Amino acid sequence: MFVTCIRKEFYDVVVNQRVALLVALDIDALCACKILQALFHCDQVQYTLVPVAGWQDLGTAFLEHKGQYRYFVLINCGANVELLETLQPEEDTTFFVLDTHRPVDVVNVYNDTQIKLLIKQDDDLGVPSYDDIFRDDEDDEDGGDSGNESDDGSEPSGKRRRFDEGAMERRIERQRAKREWEARRREILFDYEQYEYHGTSAAMVIFELAWVMTKDTKDMLWWAVIGLTDQWVHDKITQMKYVTDIATLQRHVSRHNHRNEDEENSLSIDCMRISFEYDLRLSLYQHWSLYESICNTSYTSCSFKLWSINGQKRLQEFLADMGLPLKQVKQKFNSMDVSIKENLREVIEESSSKFGMKDIRIQTFGVHFGFKNRFLAADVVHAATAVLEGVEKGEGAADNFIRALDCLSRSNLDRLHLGLDLAKKKLKAVQQTVASCICTNLILSQGPFLYCWVMLFHLLLFSKPLALTLLSKYLLKAFICSTRNKRCKILPLIMAVPLDVEKGTLMVLGIPPESETSDKKNFFGRAFEKAAESTSSRALHDHFDTSIIELKTEDRGKFLDALITLLS
Amino acid sequence: MDPSEVEFLAEKETVKIIPNFSLDKVYLIGGDLGPFNPGLPVSVPVWLALNLKQRQKCRIVPPEWMDADKLEEIRELERKEDTFTPIPSPHYMELTKLLLNHAADNIPKADEIRTLVKDIWDTRIAKLRLSADSFITQQEAHAKLDNLTLMEINTTRTFLLDSLKYMYKLRSNLQPGSGKSQDY
Repeated sequence: MFVTCIRKEFYDVVVNQRVALLVALDIDALCACKILQALFHCDQVQYTLVPVAGWQDLGTAFLEHKGQYRYFVLINCGANVELLETLQPEEDTTFFVLDTHRPVDVVNVYNDTQIKLLIKQDDDLGVPSYDDIFRDDEDDEDGGDSGNESDDGSEPSGKRRRFDEGAMERRIERQRAKREWEARRREILFDYEQYEYHGTSAAMVIFELAWVMTKDTKDMLWWAVIGLTDQWVHDKITQMKYVTDIATLQRHVSRHNHRNEDEENSLSIDCMRISFEYDLRLSLYQHWSLYESICNTSYTSCSFKLWSINGQKRLQEFLADMGLPLKQVKQKFNSMDVSIKENLREVIEESSSKFGMKDIRIQTFGVHFGFKNRFLAADVVHAATAVLEGVEKGEGAADNFIRALDCLSRSNLDRLHLGLDLAKKKLKAVQQTVASCICTNLILSQGPFLYCWVMLFHLLLFSKPLALTLLSKYLLKAFICSTRNKRCKILPLIMAVPLDVEKGTLMVLGIPPESETSDKKNFFGRAFEKAAESTSSRALHDHFDTSIIELKTEDRGKFLDALITLLS
Repeated sequence: MDPSEVEFLAEKETVKIIPNFSLDKVYLIGGDLGPFNPGLPVSVPVWLALNLKQRQKCRIVPPEWMDADKLEEIRELERKEDTFTPIPSPHYMELTKLLLNHAADNIPKADEIRTLVKDIWDTRIAKLRLSADSFITQQEAHAKLDNLTLMEINTTRTFLLDSLKYMYKLRSNLQPGSGKSQDY
C-alpha cells in the first residue's frame, strides 16, 4: 500500500527498531542511502547496510537477515515484482519499498499489511483499480462484490445481470461474465505492465522526509541533487520531469542559501554552498581540458560527428568561430586564461547555436566549499558511477559500493578525484567504442530493431549495466546522426556484450528509440521475457531493470529470431 | 599531559545553546542540565553542545569573547605588552578549535576569528619561549608567570622539565669532588 504520511508511517515506526537496508547499485540509491544514514545517525538507529546487485542477491541477503530483523527498507529495488512471492517472508516482517522503477506490481500496491510503498501518489502511476484485477470467487452466490477497497475505478467490474430464470442459465451467464472479466483483466494488466519507466528520484523522496522533520542540511540537499542528476545523466526520466524536479530543488536551495548569509556575517569559506547554475552540458569540463570534454560528450560529439574527418574539421571551425586558441583549449581548464574563462558559457552558447546545437546549456546545480573545490552535480555522478563499477582486479562489488558511498561525502575528496579520473577513462573508452562501431558499421538493422554486438576492447568495462546503458544511448544517438535511412532513425537498439567467457554468457540490453519528446518508456522487459520463454533460452532476468538480461551465448541466435517475430 | 587530555578538560566549559527539542531537567553527577525548551537558550557543557549539534538538535551561540573586534583588541594588547595579558577564557585555544570545526555555520566571521586566535597564540608562545630562555641563561631559581593557560603550559612542560633535569645533571658532574655518578 502507498504510505500517506511518510514521517508517521515510516520513520516513527523504524526509529526505535533495528532495520536492514537493502540498497541497489545505482547512484540515486546511494544518495538516498546516504541521506537515510545521516538521519539514522542523528537518532541513533541501529541498521545494517547490504548492497544488492539483483534479485538473487536480494534473496540471499533476505535469507541471511530475516532471523534478526523485522523491518526491511529496500532502496531502488523491489517494487516491480511481486515481493511476497519472491521472498516468502514471515507474517510480521514489514517491507518499506522506496523504488523508482515503475510500474509498481499490483500485488505490492494492494497488499495492506506487509508492503509499504514510499512513493508519492501523484507520480503518474496509473494503477488499475482493485475491482478490475482482484475478485473474491464465490461459486454459488450470484452477488459476488469484490470491492473491499475500490478506488474510483475507471471501469466497473463485470455487470451482474440478475436473471429471474433458471439456475442453469444464471450459471452459464456467470461463467461467461467471468471469462469476459478475465480477458479484460489480462488486457488491463498487459497495458499496465508493458512499458517500464522511472519515477521521482529516491533521494528526493528521502530528502523531503528530512525536510518535513526539519533535519535537512545542505549535505542532504546536495545528495538529493546528485540523485536527480543521476537520473538525468543515465537518461531515465524525461526532460519535462527533470525540469520540474529541478524547480522543486531550487526552492530548497534558495531556502538554505537565504538562511545564513548576508554582507556583515559572511559564512566561513569551508561551509558548503550550493548554487543554481545554467551551465554547459560538457561532461567534466571543469576537471579536464575543454577540448577533451567536447570530444567525449555525447551531445557535442554526435552533433559534430567527430568520428569522421569532416567532423574534426567542423570542430576546428567551431573553436575558431569562438576565437579560442587551440593551445588554450587543450590545456587543463583551471589553467586556461582568465579572460577566456569569463564569458565562456555565453560565447559557447552563441557559437553552438550556429552549429545546430541548441541545448548546449542545461539547468543544474554546483557546489563550492573550501578554496579550490568546485563541482557540478553531473561531475560527481560520473565519478561515483565510475567508482561503483570499477574494474580493478581483486575488488568485489561490496568494496566498490563502500568506496562509491565514501566518495559522495565531503571529507573524502581524494576518492572523488580518483573517481573523476576513472570517469574520464570511461568516457574516452565509450567514445572510442562508438567511433569504431560507427566506422565499421557494426550496427545492423534486424527489422523491428537495431542490433549491435560489441566484441572489441574495453569488454570488462562495458559488462556492467550502467556503463553499458551509457554506451548504448550514446551509440544510438551517434547512429541516428550518421545514418541516412529515415526508417532506422526511429528504431530501438539492442546491445549484446560478452559477460563471462568461461560460463559463456552475454549481457543483453534494450533501449527505446531516441527522439526529442521520448517518454523513456522501455518495452524490452516483457519482450525479453516472452522471447526467452518461447524459445526456452537460458536467460537470467536478474537485474532490477527488466530490460537487462544475461543470456547464454549459444542461445543468442534463436533468442533474436524470436524477438524479431515478436516485435514485427 | 597529552593535548587531547587538555582538550577533554576544556570540554567542561559551558556554552549557550538554543535547542530545538524539549526535555526535562537531567541530573548528572557533574551537575544538573537545565530543562530544554525549543527556542530558549540554555547553558550546557561543551561536550553536550557538540554532540547535540552533530545530531542537529541545537544551534550553538558563540561565547561573548569569540568576536572579531574583541579578539583584535586582545591581539593588539598582547603584542604591546611584554608579559602575558589576561585572556577571556582559560581554554580559548581548545574552544576555538572545537567550535569552529563543528559549528562554523553558527559563528559569524569564522575565518577571521580563526586567524586572530592563531595570532594571539603565536604571540604568547613566543613570549613563553623567550621567558624560558632567559630563565635558563640567567640561571634563575624561580620564575612567576601570570595568565598562562593550561594548553600553553602543556606545550613547554616536557621540554622544559627534561632539559632542566639534564642541565642539573651536567652541572653537578662538572663540580670537582663529586665523582660519584648521579642517578635520578
